[in-house]
Amino acid sequence: MTAQLQAQSRSRTEDGAQPVISGRDLSMVYRARAGETVALQNATLTVAPGEFVSLIGPSGCGKTTLLRLIADLIQPTSGELRVAGKSPKEARESREYGYVFQAPVLYEWRTVVKNVMLPLEIMRFPKAERQERAERLLKLVGLQDFGRRYPFQLSGGMQQRVSIARALAFDPKLLLMDEPFGALDEITREAMNDELLRIWQETHKTVVFVTHSISEAVFLSSRIVVMTPRPGKIERVIDVDLPYPRDESVRQSRRFFELTTEVRDALKGMH
Amino acid sequence: MRREAKGLKSERRGFSLPAKVSAFLPVLTVLVALILLGYPLALLFGLPLALRDMRDLRKWEKATVTAQPPQRLNGTTLTFKNPAEDGVLVRDNIPVDTPYTVSGDTVTLQAEPSTPLVTWGETPTPVSETIYRYDGDLPDPPTLYVGGTLAVGGATPVAETPDDVRVSFAFSGATGPILLDDEVLSAGADYTVQGDTITFAEAPSFGGELRRVSGDYAVLNDDTVVFAAPPSGEVRVAESVVRLAERLSGEADGTNQRFTLLQTPVVETEPYDVYVDDTPLPSDDERPEERVDGERATFTFGSDEGIVTVEGVPQTEGETYTRDGSVVTFTEPPARNAQLRGYPGAFVTDFQTGEVMLARAPPAGATVWTDAYTVYAQPGCGGDVIACFLALPQHPVPFPHWIAARIGPFFNKFPLNDERNIVRAVLYTAAGTLSALGLGAAVGTLLAVLFVTVRPLERALLPWLVASQTVPIIALVPVLLLVLGNVGITIQTSLLPTALIGAYIAFFPVVVGTVKGLRSVDPLALDLMKSYAATPTQLFTKVRFPAAVPFLFTSLKLAAAAALVGALVAETESNNRRGLGFQILGQVQSGNVADVWILLLISALLGIGLVALVGLLQRVIAPWERS
Repeated sequence: MTAQLQAQSRSRTEDGAQPVISGRDLSMVYRARAGETVALQNATLTVAPGEFVSLIGPSGCGKTTLLRLIADLIQPTSGELRVAGKSPKEARESREYGYVFQAPVLYEWRTVVKNVMLPLEIMRFPKAERQERAERLLKLVGLQDFGRRYPFQLSGGMQQRVSIARALAFDPKLLLMDEPFGALDEITREAMNDELLRIWQETHKTVVFVTHSISEAVFLSSRIVVMTPRPGKIERVIDVDLPYPRDESVRQSRRFFELTTEVRDALKGMH
Repeated sequence: MRREAKGLKSERRGFSLPAKVSAFLPVLTVLVALILLGYPLALLFGLPLALRDMRDLRKWEKATVTAQPPQRLNGTTLTFKNPAEDGVLVRDNIPVDTPYTVSGDTVTLQAEPSTPLVTWGETPTPVSETIYRYDGDLPDPPTLYVGGTLAVGGATPVAETPDDVRVSFAFSGATGPILLDDEVLSAGADYTVQGDTITFAEAPSFGGELRRVSGDYAVLNDDTVVFAAPPSGEVRVAESVVRLAERLSGEADGTNQRFTLLQTPVVETEPYDVYVDDTPLPSDDERPEERVDGERATFTFGSDEGIVTVEGVPQTEGETYTRDGSVVTFTEPPARNAQLRGYPGAFVTDFQTGEVMLARAPPAGATVWTDAYTVYAQPGCGGDVIACFLALPQHPVPFPHWIAARIGPFFNKFPLNDERNIVRAVLYTAAGTLSALGLGAAVGTLLAVLFVTVRPLERALLPWLVASQTVPIIALVPVLLLVLGNVGITIQTSLLPTALIGAYIAFFPVVVGTVKGLRSVDPLALDLMKSYAATPTQLFTKVRFPAAVPFLFTSLKLAAAAALVGALVAETESNNRRGLGFQILGQVQSGNVADVWILLLISALLGIGLVALVGLLQRVIAPWERS
């Protein structure tokens, strides 16, 4: 049973010839007057197509830094990084990824549907297609009836779902998510987790997911990258061999508990 | 994180009103504030003026100015109008020697006078029913009796001056015949009467003397009188009449020079005619022949005696000056241009107490008196401070209901085809303000975009923009208008000057607000745009501009108020007759305080309206802003 699950997991990680993300010895050093801060040290990470990889660790472990490096929002001090076989800058300019922030970052002057259409406008999609995609994605995140609302009329969870729909709008192969459910309550978060998994399976995206929450990481991921701070570095990579699709029963399973413990131990620096 | 903060804010707290009521809230507030503040403020600013008027004795009403001749001769009893308690009976300025007592209006002689109390002149001969001619010169003033009863003379001059054009004149308090340059006009042929208004068939010539008989008669010239109505009995002219004059209190013991007028306070600054027995004292004051240059100590006056005053203060002979005939020598030279006067007769040393100082002590037992007495009954404005407040010619803050009463006439003052019509003025100012606002907003937004995209430009220009706002607009306006006037653009003919001046102060808040707005974008929102590989243009149009809109509208509300001020100031240009600015200036200059207040209210309402218009625009353009 276990071997079968591992095989399934492996098959997901190894079937693509070319990894979506391949980073080697990535370091990020912030220089300030007070001195240098090593945000990330010699991180090496490879993500295969279709994987759901979580980056977990306490504050200051460099997980957001790593995500922003992949997104080319910042540039590494040293190391090599390829995204979708290109340099991060080329990948960004050819719109290879969709980014979801911790906050929904909705544009308050746009209605929900227009927020989802924003990237499509920027990428100059034809108007009819913009409309069609936005409606389809709102349906995917269960907000088909809220398109005409303004963001302030939505709850925090709904706003975050809009944000996810927006990231998916232009159909990027890669989804970078930076603690998207961090600000939500536990109940909403678990519902969002279910939904995210459903979307991931429907769309076959590659997801890199930053989180604080061990149970969230275990529940969602096919692989968990455990990071530790000062300096921020990758401590361990744990394969999650729980079968997909995952539902509430997975949260109750013994294996879920074991993996949770394993991640927790890794976070404490115990091998 | 920002979104959460906004989410919390959306939870409205505190007291709120239904939307329909709150829309009128600004107007309601103004009205309530006006009523609650208007009355106390009117009293606060008006009462001190009223008190000042009350205390100003020069503005008091004279009850009696001259001693009246008796109305009736009845044995030894004489009836006077308003007699002074301690009067002195005089005839031809000579005190009557018969003893008498005064009680009420009645003076009772204790014995038959040795000479008749009235001496009659010629009887005037009637020229017409109402015009009588006297053979010789009439005494001045003439004392006329009709059938043994005293007649009262008087004619009221017209309020307006004839100017060859005006045909209608208003008289008040007179009902008798109309006199033009001492000619009696005939009713019907020369003029028609309607209430107080006289309309002439022909406009009276420029500078003509127009009067209307207000008493029983009026003097036409030195020998003719005209009666208001044909006299009912024999007309007689008295040549000398017994009058009641004012005795000065103080004992004439041969040394006393100081006497006191009975009726105080003495308000008149005119010298009093003071008599010692039957001799009038010289009443004129004298100036020295020499200039008072601060060095000279010796001065020459016209008379050999008298009281010498420096700056109205009497000097003591032997102490501060010595006299040698008409030459006065001071121990110290009076200060340069000090007022030096000689009073050869008498000098009023204290107007409040009515103290009169005579140049020479009258002989013992002499009667010292003045031929007129004056009673100042009450302040001219009324008996109390409220009456005086109500009688103020101009109230700094009029009562709200007075202002309200002016609104009707104010709006009807000029017809709609006159550019001074108030509705047209409001529309003109509104148009000027909106142009100024539009121009200011365009320039302001453009500068803000420049500043955000080219940062060094902001550092180079912003100090100058700040400096531009410290230039008083009132100093700038004439210069700008002069420049524009030279190329033929005036406020009278174009909105451009108003727009420029209004925009000059309106653009500044737009720059500051829009720069802040363009920079207010959430850094994550910028990251997101970067992740989409958006172009700089897209960044501006899709994110920075929309994010700046709420800031822009807040600035625009400030700018609307500023633009209105600019437009009003611009319209005060001297040749302009359009807009509220002109109206305010005009009413301020002509002192119509109530109208100024109405205009201020209208301006305030216009300002509120313009700001509300900006708010409405915001609701249409930026419906996501919940404010």
